[in-house]
Amino acid sequence: MTAAPRMRALGAVAALAVLPWLTGNAFLQHMMVLWAIYALLALSLNIIVGYLGELSFGHAAFFGIGAYTSALLSMQWGVPVWLGPFLGAIVAGAFGLVIGFVALRIVGPQFAILTLGFGAILHTITNYWVDLTRGPMGISNIPPFSLGPIALDFAQARNMYYVALVFLLGVAYVCHALMTSRRGRAFIAVRENPALAASIGIDVFATKLHGFVVATAIAGAGGALYGHYLRVITPELMSLQYVAALIIMVIVGGKGTIVGPLIGALVYVSLLEMLRAAGPLRLVVFAALLTACVIFLPGGLVSLWRRLRERRLAPEPAGASA
Amino acid sequence: MLKVRGLRVRYGQREAVHGLDLEVRAGEIVTLVGSNGAGKTTTLKAISGVLRASAGTVEFEGRRIDGLPPHAIIERGIAHVPEGRLLFKDMTVLEHLELGAIRAPRSAPAYRDRVQRAFELFPKLEERKDQRAGTMSGGEQQMLAIARGLMSAPKLLMLDEPSLGLAPIVVDTLADAIRNLHAAGIVILLVEQRVDMALRLADRGYVVETGRIVLDDRAEALLENPRVKEAYLGV
Repeated sequence: MTAAPRMRALGAVAALAVLPWLTGNAFLQHMMVLWAIYALLALSLNIIVGYLGELSFGHAAFFGIGAYTSALLSMQWGVPVWLGPFLGAIVAGAFGLVIGFVALRIVGPQFAILTLGFGAILHTITNYWVDLTRGPMGISNIPPFSLGPIALDFAQARNMYYVALVFLLGVAYVCHALMTSRRGRAFIAVRENPALAASIGIDVFATKLHGFVVATAIAGAGGALYGHYLRVITPELMSLQYVAALIIMVIVGGKGTIVGPLIGALVYVSLLEMLRAAGPLRLVVFAALLTACVIFLPGGLVSLWRRLRERRLAPEPAGASA
Repeated sequence: MLKVRGLRVRYGQREAVHGLDLEVRAGEIVTLVGSNGAGKTTTLKAISGVLRASAGTVEFEGRRIDGLPPHAIIERGIAHVPEGRLLFKDMTVLEHLELGAIRAPRSAPAYRDRVQRAFELFPKLEERKDQRAGTMSGGEQQMLAIARGLMSAPKLLMLDEPSLGLAPIVVDTLADAIRNLHAAGIVILLVEQRVDMALRLADRGYVVETGRIVLDDRAEALLENPRVKEAYLGV
């Protein structure tokens, strides 16, 4: 990173850090927590969609696995809650490894359909394995996040925001470090031209599996945070509605970038609340948003900024088309 | 060094290579010439593991390599520079070199030395090391594709149509580079449609027609062969 982007990144981190102190409104703070968790999830899906170039319709299942893992471990076995996100990540990543190992043998639309199938299977199991998951009733009274001896009340949105923010920034940094490394370039090579990537010595399957496992593990951590924050989880977490939400965040924000999914999550969370009065019609708005983005703004909202900057930097085009 | 016996490769139902035999010995430049669709590229792809042969064997330094995945074959010391100088257009020269070094035999020199050698061979690339591949000229792109192949420190370099679509003067530079590589001890298997150029560079040549070797001789002899003259040299 050169000096200017680093300053911008630091500025953004500072702004995010002071954000919850700008308002005493508990509802706005609640929205900030939701944003941070969704942004974390969107970043994880972005590894699959943006970096590997595959589409996964099963991502919400890993989010749900993380949430259930952490909730059940802390409630039934008394595992310390702060371990939850890490254990959720390990279990979700393990599922990701097995599913990815099978599904990544094929790529493209067929892979997307396979993930849809695996996601639906996990959703169904969660729904019907009542002894373990309490089925459609879901699990309630999940203990709020805690840090052991540090006596902070993480049921409070402002405190929880910082927990989620730490995870979010950590993952954002990992994504950045990854994409400036040789490993990250191998990801891009595999996305752009798998045959060529293979011919220069990149193990395409192993590379995709690597990315998929990392993405599912992060989704698991996000799910754990989500469960301990909302304190109620149901199998609906694994449903297509959440899959669609995550895909909208990544595509509308801008896939293949780090800022994009963060913006996408912000758009999603804000619209969700602003349109609450519209009821199920919200989904129509989201569908329209996604469609419009794919047609008019394939690079997502972040590409607006890039376009703007290029226009400012470029000399007046002499009769060239815009 | 490289021995191909009875190689058959099929795309779906259609067989493109019907039992091809080929040998490359240490210290040689060998060329595989023939017209479009003769099966030259398919043969290279089968050797480098990108395509799987339906029958036949490929031996490299006395060990079977057919059936190995491409990255394992690169680790044995075979690099394949694909036809049409396939590059990632948004990646810079240095990024390509880094990717090319993702697999290499254990005995390979240090990464920095390999970059240094690639730049010595193609000084143009050093001038453009931070430039994106998509913005470079055809000749520079071909140089980069070869340099990327060299980053895996190969013992055998397979070049597929390196002269394709390049200006004659650039082709000359390329021919010099191939001679330099050969002088540095890299064995070369060259696939070309520019038969005259390929045969002038090579020690030995094979002529491929419709998936079979039809002629196989020393390069000078092939240049004088009436059949080659008539079919490929247009004299």
